[in-house]
Amino acid sequence: MIPSDHFVRYYNEVFKTLLEKGREHLVEYWRELGRLQIKELADRFRKGGLKACYEYWKRIEREENCQATLLLTPDYFEFQMRRCPSLSKVLDNDASPCLYYCDHCMGWVEPVMKASGLYAVADMKSRTEPSCVIRVFEDKAKADAWAAQAQLLSRPYDEDIGQG
Amino acid sequence: MRYRDTGQVHMDFHRTTNGTIAYLRQTHGQDLLDETFRRTARDVYRSIREDLERGDPGQLLEHWVYYFDRERGDYTLHRNKEETRLEVHRCPAIAYLQSRGIPVDPAFCRQTTVINETLAEASPFTIETQVLGQGRCVQTLRRRA
Repeated sequence: MIPSDHFVRYYNEVFKTLLEKGREHLVEYWRELGRLQIKELADRFRKGGLKACYEYWKRIEREENCQATLLLTPDYFEFQMRRCPSLSKVLDNDASPCLYYCDHCMGWVEPVMKASGLYAVADMKSRTEPSCVIRVFEDKAKADAWAAQAQLLSRPYDEDIGQG
Repeated sequence: MRYRDTGQVHMDFHRTTNGTIAYLRQTHGQDLLDETFRRTARDVYRSIREDLERGDPGQLLEHWVYYFDRERGDYTLHRNKEETRLEVHRCPAIAYLQSRGIPVDPAFCRQTTVINETLAEASPFTIETQVLGQGRCVQTLRRRA
């Protein structure tokens, strides 16, 4: 049994295996995660909007031992991850991290938000530091304006995913 | 022991493992699925593997006991001169999936079988995994003849 505590290290090996086969296989896997999460979450976010996002990530913060700050404003919901437990474990690891490990997060968040009529933007800042900021907007123009200021935008489905 | 997690256990990761296994098996086949487990054994569990290669199974046994206790598995560990046998009466991962009505992928226990085989392959030990079904298995560590 791979202990549940070690799942993310296994996940990291899955990502590297798929990436070695071809980036399109890794991207297709993220799409599958998105499809599964749409079934779980899209209806809830579509009905509940930003407040439902806040409530969902509040539970995740507790259950997954995140060090994070959550903010709900009239314009956006913000999840500021100060110490990501997932990337922290992948970095505290005798195996090497997948270059695109962080991108799996927007790999499912982006399709879920699209299906919910919301706009998510993630500033990873760095792929080697376990901190990032995700904001979810109701207004696309506001999402685009915030994305333009990002240090390292997560855009897992773009041809040029970025190396930073 | 190289990894010693504390704090809340997020058992739902077993659901994600099960879903990942199902996806890889159905989309890419069992060889690629097994490769993810071999990599995990070789690299993530490098410290356990290298201890086994040096003839020391202590870290593996500590890992088994620590994580089965942490996830409240039901097991018995038997040790004698010839072998160490971990009898799992109730696998916590399978119990979790069953408690939520999640179908267990037919390849779910490959994670245990392949990781055990890979950990031992270059060592003076063998680790045999007998999957008995319904969350029961026997994992037996022996010195090679």
